[in-house]
Amino acid sequence: MRQTSKYEKKFGRVILALAAVVSIAVAYYPHPTRAEDNVRARVDQLQRELKDVQLKLKNRETRARSADKKAPAQDESLVKWHLSGYAVANFVATDAADQHDTFSGAQFSPIFHFQYGDLVLFEAEPELAIEDSQETSLELEYAMIHLMLHDSFTLGAGKFLSPVGQFQERLHPAWINKLPDMPAGFSHHGGIQPASDIGVQARGGIPVGGMTATYVVALGNGPQIGDEGFTQEGFGADNNDNKAVSGRIGFLPVPYFEIGASFEYARVQGWESDNGPATNANFTLWGVDAAFTRGPWDVRFEYLNGKLGSHYGRAEEADTDGSLIPKTDWEAWYVQAAYQLSGFTNTRIVRNFEPVVRYGQFTGDGFDEFVEAREYRWNIGLNYHFAPSVIAKGSVEWRDMKAPGAGDETRYLLQLAYGF
Amino acid sequence: MTSRLTYRLFTGVFAAATVYTFSLAPAFAADESMKKAPDPAQIARGAKAWPYVCNRCHVLRDPKEINDEDWTVSVTHMRIRANIPGQLARDIAAFLRASN
Repeated sequence: MRQTSKYEKKFGRVILALAAVVSIAVAYYPHPTRAEDNVRARVDQLQRELKDVQLKLKNRETRARSADKKAPAQDESLVKWHLSGYAVANFVATDAADQHDTFSGAQFSPIFHFQYGDLVLFEAEPELAIEDSQETSLELEYAMIHLMLHDSFTLGAGKFLSPVGQFQERLHPAWINKLPDMPAGFSHHGGIQPASDIGVQARGGIPVGGMTATYVVALGNGPQIGDEGFTQEGFGADNNDNKAVSGRIGFLPVPYFEIGASFEYARVQGWESDNGPATNANFTLWGVDAAFTRGPWDVRFEYLNGKLGSHYGRAEEADTDGSLIPKTDWEAWYVQAAYQLSGFTNTRIVRNFEPVVRYGQFTGDGFDEFVEAREYRWNIGLNYHFAPSVIAKGSVEWRDMKAPGAGDETRYLLQLAYGF
Repeated sequence: MTSRLTYRLFTGVFAAATVYTFSLAPAFAADESMKKAPDPAQIARGAKAWPYVCNRCHVLRDPKEINDEDWTVSVTHMRIRANIPGQLARDIAAFLRASN
């Protein structure tokens, strides 16, 4: 057997030593391939997480854009509309011999508002009511297109409530009027207060330092004399070439005190008559008003003075040929005070009550039919506000009738009104 | 005749007022306060004016009664009916929208 040489033994020992060293080195230091794998794995995980975050961000951006698209329809659309109005129901008890206690005045008055930007507002109020018979009446109280051309100038056209005074244009809705009925002489029938007209008007409010001046001037078809006598409601066609001019100027030296002055002038067409040619009559009306509305107080005064010249018209029911109607003068005024008890107490229920008192007169001289509703009238009432625009009213009314042969009357009025 | 004088007078007033108006602010501006974030100063002006201006005719209504769009249109109706200056009306509308 060949014996291992000394050199072979040394060489073998060197190989073994090298192998040992390499083994130790490999065991001590991480294998380069394993580290890269770890790095690659970590990078892959980070990439996956980044993609996930990007996806979530994209989804949120999409939802935000969708919400932005919905918002303009509510806040930025040029066309907006609003339905409001009021409803009312009444009960009247009377001691008049020729009348009966009755539930009356079931009335529904929706008000439509359509607005275009800050330029146009169209508003209209039809009124549905039950007549003394079982029939339902439908009337158009007003229908106006307003062009808001400037902060202090609005041009309007259509059928409008008379701008004379405050009551007709601003206070007549049942949920605003402090009593169940209108002041003496201020009603549409038999009174001197013009109800409405058809034409154009210009109006606005002008800041004057810390005060405000207001104005309305209107041009319309004007009142007419027909089968029912002198009528001051809007006529769809004029019966003469003369137009009625009316208006009001107001001034608020402080925000809670307002004074105003009103006027109307018209030429009214008389009847053709066998007794003579038709004569046109001048109609002139002027008035003043004042209101103090601070906190719980609501104190008002209005005065109207009207004159209608002589003309040919129907003197009585059977008069179809026409007769000379004499010149007629009217006066109507009222003063009213109301106080909300919330002004001095916060006690539940009590604070919702509002006592009110009104005194007014409607007087006249001239054609008997035009002045047969003359009276002096007292009203004492108590209102309860279920909500700011939901009001129950109770009133005692003493009517001192001034027409010859007309008896005095005491009435008890109840009313429930809802302004929506 | 009186009617011709009335026509001429009224036409003259309308023409003068229209020329004056068109020489001033643009006519077709939408209510910018509806588009932007509420302006605290405008809301404050509206809050100060609301109890006096809106109490002129009727009992004050709770701002929470109706929504923003309805308040915008309702206040415009009141602006015309009560002859409220336009900027004051916008201030009050901004206050009511911020309070409902």
